[in-house]
Parts: sequence; structure tokens; C-alpha cells
Amino acid sequence: MAVSSLDGLAARFRDQKVAAAFVYTHEAHPGEHFPHHTSFEQKLAHAREFQRRFKVQRPILVDSLEGACHRAYGSMPNMCWIMDRAGRPVYKADWTDAASVERAVLDLFARADRRRETRLPSAAFKVELLESRPRDQVAFMKGLEVAGPKAVAEFKAWALR
Amino acid sequence: MDLTQAYNYDSFVAEKIGRWLNFAASPVLGVPAPDFELQSLDAGATRLSAFWRSAAYTIIEFGSLT
Repeated sequence: MAVSSLDGLAARFRDQKVAAAFVYTHEAHPGEHFPHHTSFEQKLAHAREFQRRFKVQRPILVDSLEGACHRAYGSMPNMCWIMDRAGRPVYKADWTDAASVERAVLDLFARADRRRETRLPSAAFKVELLESRPRDQVAFMKGLEVAGPKAVAEFKAWALR
Repeated sequence: MDLTQAYNYDSFVAEKIGRWLNFAASPVLGVPAPDFELQSLDAGATRLSAFWRSAAYTIIEFGSLT
């Protein structure tokens, strides 16, 4: 389940030419209250309820019913990307963690400052980094209850498999 | 089962979710990523590129209510 933990970060960086958006995907944990999508209208309604319930401030962009965008980016349930102005990913994470995103944005700014200071052209290289995040299982299970008892039971069964 | 039905799985069980976890095959860093039309809740049809062209950097989170 995705909670809008990046809203504060997006507001903080808005004046520094950083945009933010939330792409609404399929239901990761469909349940009685919020079942799997069978129409685009239903998907829009779930997205509006998500916006209302979590007071999401970022623009919410609803993907097509067949998830064309989500699938093209790897289909992870709560992944996060940072794109540059040319649409090139400069950060990608298979899970969203506000602290990790914040570090990445600050590092992008620092590198831009360094380029300005040195006046040297830059050469790109890639880094892989294994991050970690606090795992609040109680809060996660409470969030799953929003979807319904079926979602809770299925996740418990999956975790025990 | 067609693609739309499979993507919108009705149960969180390994045989239904496993095929959708493809982060290893996702767009690579530094190379232009695919652009898509999406429906903004507040502004109608738009594209991912409308966001990334508007700012030095754009943070894009994916997720759902559940």
C-alpha cells in the first residue's frame, strides 16, 4: 500500500525546480472494499478515494486499465523514479523511501553545483546501492485493513509461504 | 486470461503477482525512458513527459490505495 510520504518532500523542493507526480496503478492488495479494477471508471474512483483519504497534494496520474506505463517501468507496487528534463532516469528504486529520495535529490543538486564550480564537462557512471528502510509491520497491516479482510488474510498467507 | 485481467489480479497470491515484479527489466539509468499518456485527476489527459519537461528533475512515485 502506498501512503503519500513524498508530499512533504515535493513541497520542500518545489521552488528548486523539482516536480513530482503519483502514478496510480492496479490494486496491489485487492480486497472487499477496494477490489481489483474491472473498468477505468472504477480505477479513477479508487484514485480519487486515495487522494481524498491520504490528502495527497501531488498530481495523481492514472495509468491505463492494462497498466501500460506501470508495466513498462517494472510493475513494482511502490517504486520511485527521478527523471531529468530529457526523460532520462537518474534514480530508480524498487520501493519508495522518502529519506532515500531526499538524499538523491540533494546529491543531484550538489553535483550540479560541482559542475558549475569546476566548469568541467561531466562523465556519467552508474552506481548500485542497497538501501534499507524502517519496516513498520503494524502500520502496514493496519493499512491493508483499508482494502478489507481478504487483503489482510492473503498477505499473511503470502508472508508465511 | 487476457492482459488487462491478468494485470488487475483479484488476489494477492504468488502465482498471480509474480509475473508483474519485473524491476530488473525496467528502463535503464541515463537513457530516455518510455513516455505514456495518463489521466490526471485534476487536469485530464496528460503525459509523463509534460512533467519531466517542466522541471530540472521530476520525482515519480507509483502505487495504489491498497
